[in-house]
Amino acid sequence: MKVLKKILSSKKMVIVVWVIGLVIVWEIGATIVAGSKRSPENVLPHLYQIIGSVFDTNLVNGKQTALQIVLSNAGITLFRAGIGFLIGTLVGFILALLMNMFLPVEKIAFPYLMIIQMIPILGMAPIILAITKDIDKSRIVIAAILTFYPVATNTLAGFKSVEREKYELMHSLAATKYEIYKKLLIPSCMPYFFTGLKISAPMAITASILVDTLQGGGGLGCMLSQSLKHAMTIYVFWQIVFLSAIVGILSFYLMTVIEKMVSPYKRIHR
Amino acid sequence: MNNMNAAENLSMEPEIRIENLSVHFQDKNGGEPVNALQKISLDIMQGEFISLVGPSGCGKTTLLRAIADLQNPSEGTISVRGMTPREVRMQKKYGIVFQSPVLYDWRTVRRNVCMPMELMGVPKKYRTARVTEMLELVGLYDFGKKYPHELSGGMQQRVGIARALAIKPEILLMDEPFSALDEFTKEKLHEDLLMIWRKTNKTIVFVTHNISEAVYLSDRVVVLSPHPGRVSAIVDVDIPRPRPLSVKNSPEFNELVMKVRSSFEGV
Repeated sequence: MKVLKKILSSKKMVIVVWVIGLVIVWEIGATIVAGSKRSPENVLPHLYQIIGSVFDTNLVNGKQTALQIVLSNAGITLFRAGIGFLIGTLVGFILALLMNMFLPVEKIAFPYLMIIQMIPILGMAPIILAITKDIDKSRIVIAAILTFYPVATNTLAGFKSVEREKYELMHSLAATKYEIYKKLLIPSCMPYFFTGLKISAPMAITASILVDTLQGGGGLGCMLSQSLKHAMTIYVFWQIVFLSAIVGILSFYLMTVIEKMVSPYKRIHR
Repeated sequence: MNNMNAAENLSMEPEIRIENLSVHFQDKNGGEPVNALQKISLDIMQGEFISLVGPSGCGKTTLLRAIADLQNPSEGTISVRGMTPREVRMQKKYGIVFQSPVLYDWRTVRRNVCMPMELMGVPKKYRTARVTEMLELVGLYDFGKKYPHELSGGMQQRVGIARALAIKPEILLMDEPFSALDEFTKEKLHEDLLMIWRKTNKTIVFVTHNISEAVYLSDRVVVLSPHPGRVSAIVDVDIPRPRPLSVKNSPEFNELVMKVRSSFEGV
């Protein structure tokens, strides 16, 4: 009994239960849809149909199979998301530094940051496009905009969470401002910084896909909308749905792995 | 002749001279300012182990913080070897041990002890040797590669002491360093601290609310009383050193504890 409880509460078991549960719910839904709709694959196909489409060798657009289309476009989208994510991370971190160093910067910048976050991506995209005059650049910029806010706010929270005594220790050793940042503030904000990255990495990918749908030029979002408009098989859509979910989760874990490499210590939990 | 005068001066001049020191805290809600310290005067000699005791709110920590230049006095002066506390701090002559160990949890024990020397620009090979020396002194040599969360509270506090001593401070300021520890760990650290003090001949200012601890460790116990914070008594502890733990059962020890306690009750 005890052993069973232990197995069930282990991390791997939780994931297994989750996946099985999802498959069951999905399949029940698919069965109901298959019995009541005329083209069930547009609403909710069976999982085996989606998996089957991955290995389908029929050429979808005359040149590529469904899987080839998805993967080549995924490369384009992830590249943009990645560049945007890196830029956003850098900007977010620097902004947090400036906000922490100069109180007026925080007071002035923070409301604007909030406002930028509140504009829907689809509303922001045309504005950015008008500014950058290039759809690819604007896709990168939007991924960056979505990244920098969680990074900036979390990093700033990290700076502000440093205990007074740790400052006083540095003060008593006559540390300069630069030394305080280098030896105390930046190392101690790392867990917060990575929390920001874990939030924003999947967001940058989702945003990239969403902004892809606005214009042509390749990318997962483009294929997604073409597939939905029946310009190509609907299974491209379903493959993209699963692929982006998997990539989103992987991007989260990638951040966890990088965090472990950067800061191998465990935090003291208070 | 000159030399003799200098030597005499050295022995006569106090290491720390506090004169008419007052610290007022402004009430945030616009009420009456709180007098944390009211006209304190105190001389502390070189190599002396002095304790500040008193109930909470008596300003003992404020007094320590004023010496450390972590708190600006409202009135009066503190002079440390003829300098202001700020000058002494800028020269990195203070070693401070806080109530909590204040370790950097992303650094190993060795690198925590090393940190102040990095700030002082001590070359790496000297740092390594000094860290080893300090960890041996506090009995933690085998734990150098551990992270703080892997150590017990007593060990963490010893790392804090090693770190404070690593830069060879002239004055060691300790703010209730053992108050969060259990009785056994505390007694062990008392012995360790006295051994370190004997070896290094530092001036130690030690804040505590534990009377027995103050009497056991100190040359002099300064009793502070609250509202406003002022010196209500200074008790000389003339028990010969080294003091074994058994000294705590002796009548003279208990007499001194009673003496300190009665000056509390007189408040």
